[in-house]
Amino acid sequence: MTTTAADTTPRPPAGRAGYMPGEPGMWFFIIGDLFIFAVYFVAYMIYRGQQPELFLHSQQFLSPGIGVINTLILLTSSWCLALGTEAARKGNSAAAFRLLAATFAIGALFPLLKMVEWVPKLAAGHSPGENLFFMYYYVMTGLHLCHVLLGLVIIGFMLRHLRHRASPDIKFIEAGAVYWHMVDLLWLVLFALFYLMR
Amino acid sequence: MNIATAALAGTLADSGRPWYKSPKLDQYICFWSVPVFYNLFGLVFVPLSWMMPPRSPTNSIDGVVAFMQSPNLLLATTILILCVALSAVGNAVYMSQMRRMAVSPVLRYAFVVGAITGAIVGCLFPMFCFGLGAFREGYDPEVLQLLYDFGYMSFIGCLGCFFLNWSCLGLSILLDEKQTLPRWLGYYTIWQSVTEIFAMTLWVSDSGPFAWDGVMTFWFNMLLYVPWQFIVYFCIYRAIRQQPESELDNAPYVGGAARA
Repeated sequence: MTTTAADTTPRPPAGRAGYMPGEPGMWFFIIGDLFIFAVYFVAYMIYRGQQPELFLHSQQFLSPGIGVINTLILLTSSWCLALGTEAARKGNSAAAFRLLAATFAIGALFPLLKMVEWVPKLAAGHSPGENLFFMYYYVMTGLHLCHVLLGLVIIGFMLRHLRHRASPDIKFIEAGAVYWHMVDLLWLVLFALFYLMR
Repeated sequence: MNIATAALAGTLADSGRPWYKSPKLDQYICFWSVPVFYNLFGLVFVPLSWMMPPRSPTNSIDGVVAFMQSPNLLLATTILILCVALSAVGNAVYMSQMRRMAVSPVLRYAFVVGAITGAIVGCLFPMFCFGLGAFREGYDPEVLQLLYDFGYMSFIGCLGCFFLNWSCLGLSILLDEKQTLPRWLGYYTIWQSVTEIFAMTLWVSDSGPFAWDGVMTFWFNMLLYVPWQFIVYFCIYRAIRQQPESELDNAPYVGGAARA
């Protein structure tokens, strides 16, 4: 999240062949993170295969409506962020700031809805200790929620950066955008695994 | 081991001076204490006492009693209680490199406090629990089971301290404009530390993949932690080698000693 190289950072060329958005370190983080989630996905499928009835039965207690809204929330915020990054690339910091503020506002609804979803479930006794399905559900969506919260902090830094810098560091904006898109992608898989799979 | 031998040769050949005259000798001594510590750690945990890999939380009471009263376990805990102090020396070398970073000192203080709490709760507490079983004959089997649970829970379940400790290191690396350690290592450290929190599931799960001996809690964390520990260790070694001698805290003293 350093901004030292801001003024010397090259702008993306017109033809994007071979251009890497963001910084290499962020890609290292994203690939590592995807690896961690991939291990969780595979482990979930293996244990689901061993107890399909238990998993299918427990799945009925989830709230698919909130899941759908959360999917739309992340997709919309990712779209705003993509537009904002494009605006920043074109040097239009004011538009980029507005679009990133929209990304933040929409994205911040995700943790709120997660609480609306979790609290009644926990109150009804569907805690992580109930069975393996709920353990996986809380651990994986909880791990994802940590990523969403970290993403909101990063977007906060991006907003501050856009406000204070006349010419924004594109590499920094791109790195944050790539991270947020990864959070979005992971949710799509989680949503399919927990809410849709029969 | 080849890499370690090459690294040791590098230490000795530093700037063409005999190794004992290197002004970074203090850091190198701390650095080389780390493999000594981890080798002792491994020997004591695995072949001597079979404390690790962790035994099952659903172990039968007879199995628990036989394990807790084993004389090897008492010997293993005694060795560990002695050598856990080496972790302080190992952390000192991390701290001396973090001191070079252009970041808030709060991060390195929190790093050290996290390491201290982690060592007490995550290493000394379990050693006291496991050592007590063989200390006196005739403990009630239920008391031994309590100590067994307490030992494993505190050893594997106190990862909050290490989460804080490594997160502070990761953040320092990322925020450091001097790039004392590579930025990718900062990201690697952050995701490594975040996944540590998820071993907390052992508090609600006594069997299956999320128990203290489970695939997701113990083995997956080991898969992430072990390579990371090696990598961070070699990056620290490179940072010590690259550190300019004028930047050393003890530069005036070792300079004086060399002249004398």
